[in-house]
Amino acid sequence: MAPLKHLEMENPIIDASFRDFCSSHGILTVEDFLIHDLYELAAFAERQVDADRLKEGITVMLSLLEVKCRPLLNGMELLEDLQRNKHTLSSGDNGTDSLLQGGLREGQVTELVGPSSSGKTQFCMQAAASVAEKQEGSVFYIDTGNSFSARRIAQFICGSSAAAALQKRVLSRISCHTVYDIYTMFDTLQGLEVALRSQEQMNVNECRLRLLIVDSISSLITPILGGSGSQGRALMVALGYLLKKLAHEHNIAVLVTNHTVGAGENGKTKPALGETWKSIPHVRLMLSRDNRNNICTISILKHTSMLSGQTVTRKDNQQCL
Amino acid sequence: MREHEAARDWIRSDETAKQMLSRVLGDRAFLLLPPLHRVPLRAGNVVEITGSSPTAKTQILIQAAIACILPKTWNGVHYGGLEKLVLFLDLDCRFDVMRLSDMLKHRLLEANRIGNGAWWQLEESSGVKNCRGAQDKSKSKSKIVYDEELYVSCMKRFLYLRCYDSLELLSSLKTLHYRIRLQEACGSQVGVLMIDSIGAFHWTDRLSSSLALDKNNRKSLSLTNVVETIVQEMKKLMRVHSLVVIATKATIYEEKYPTNENNRKLSSNNDKAQQPPFREFMPSSWQAFVTHKIFIRKSGDHHQSSGQQSLSAYSLEWLQPQLSSIDRFIVDDVSKLDPFK
Repeated sequence: MAPLKHLEMENPIIDASFRDFCSSHGILTVEDFLIHDLYELAAFAERQVDADRLKEGITVMLSLLEVKCRPLLNGMELLEDLQRNKHTLSSGDNGTDSLLQGGLREGQVTELVGPSSSGKTQFCMQAAASVAEKQEGSVFYIDTGNSFSARRIAQFICGSSAAAALQKRVLSRISCHTVYDIYTMFDTLQGLEVALRSQEQMNVNECRLRLLIVDSISSLITPILGGSGSQGRALMVALGYLLKKLAHEHNIAVLVTNHTVGAGENGKTKPALGETWKSIPHVRLMLSRDNRNNICTISILKHTSMLSGQTVTRKDNQQCL
Repeated sequence: MREHEAARDWIRSDETAKQMLSRVLGDRAFLLLPPLHRVPLRAGNVVEITGSSPTAKTQILIQAAIACILPKTWNGVHYGGLEKLVLFLDLDCRFDVMRLSDMLKHRLLEANRIGNGAWWQLEESSGVKNCRGAQDKSKSKSKIVYDEELYVSCMKRFLYLRCYDSLELLSSLKTLHYRIRLQEACGSQVGVLMIDSIGAFHWTDRLSSSLALDKNNRKSLSLTNVVETIVQEMKKLMRVHSLVVIATKATIYEEKYPTNENNRKLSSNNDKAQQPPFREFMPSSWQAFVTHKIFIRKSGDHHQSSGQQSLSAYSLEWLQPQLSSIDRFIVDDVSKLDPFK
């Protein structure tokens, strides 16, 4: 949103005298307009000489706001959007797919929580391979800890005996971006948003982006948290909302990973990033691994339409690394 | 001439006695389903449901929404709803319409079963409805048992709006009155305004408070100003529409109090100073706006005797008006909230 004078080009009613009236009430931008009582403002306008013109200006401002607002959707329209645009993507692992009733859902942010070496990165790379191969979608992989391995992803493509041509095609759909701090992260995501929007305008539907992976998001956020200041948490929430917005508006499944921290008193571990982050992801999955027998357990901590507490176990094939 | 017109407009009655009677009778207090059944609600009430995530807050909202969008009766079957519109403001941006749809279907089937007495076979179709794979099967099966037309009309009474930041919320609230009027022109009135969840933009708003430009008494976009304006806009809405507001609030601070509710009851009996069981973070303008306060916390797992799967159990406490009873409930696999002892 912008200073009021930028609106004059298209709306001649917002002229110098209207702006003077507004600025005498401390309104210089559209944002200022939002936190003022417009009834009160209209009452002030009533006392001016050119009352009608000023009130018309206020009405124009309101209608400009209305155009900016998202439409009011009813339940049937929501359902239609869900069925038409939000598909589930296979994560490449049958157990997880059946636990999640189909896999990762487009439009949602799925979070993987687990201690170090519980298989989070493996899960991400497997999902990337699966989406690039089976759904023929492109994958945007944000790597924050130099753990991305193209060789490992290639192994996930139909076993390791896949034809070289297929491997090449699948791998070309996955783009890896290294990001080491939250500011670069915002840059990258905003760039992505612009690119997606222009793609949608030009109707490029070939190999569209279907999966966005951030491995790991906690290593970007943890350094800015702490202390009593609100700045770190504000950045965290803003990043969370940016991800949710990308997921929903562009029908992308977002997969992020988070580590665990010890909770202190009872020796239990819990997801990092604290209480505020809990309201960001749609789905939270907890990964844990028993190192003695290589059995990996995935359980639902939170799901928007499923009960939490359900689990699935799998035998892992870590040895091929 | 114009003045005459204006005067006549002014004298003209706003509504007839009949209209007024139906309005007043329509505004009567209503009871929601358990676990919100303890206190009757009426238009003008603002209910705040606090709890950390996940404590089935959105679940409770959806259940209340269904009670609102269902008709009282339809084709001779009693559904016991209010037949009003629900306006759902999603600030968490993670509402799942599938859950609304599933729960609504379940309610329709349940009402049919009770109404007609012979719907024993529905149990299984509602049991599998959560499985995506089995959904097509259950859909074709349940077609026979619930009225598609009724389902669609209920779903259309559910209105949804999502906001990604405070500015979007403010501009939505400012233009909501016009948009509600457009919707109400189709027949039903708005009964409930839901907000999920109200503290969603707390941190980002707090940050913009510190960035405020403090020059020539310009009102800044600070947390207190934003919340004050939200409250002000909602009050304006409630003046023209008879609404109940139900808002959830996720706790954003770690709980420092004992999780055991018995401990807490003891301590609250000892000092009447009434410390809330969570750290309050909403500005005072919002706190003064709220008329009913509910607090939910997780209270361990509930093991069903039949299966080995454990369900999450929650306990719900009324803080305002203060009630001594604590309701415990579980969320079962048909997304229903069941009270238990």
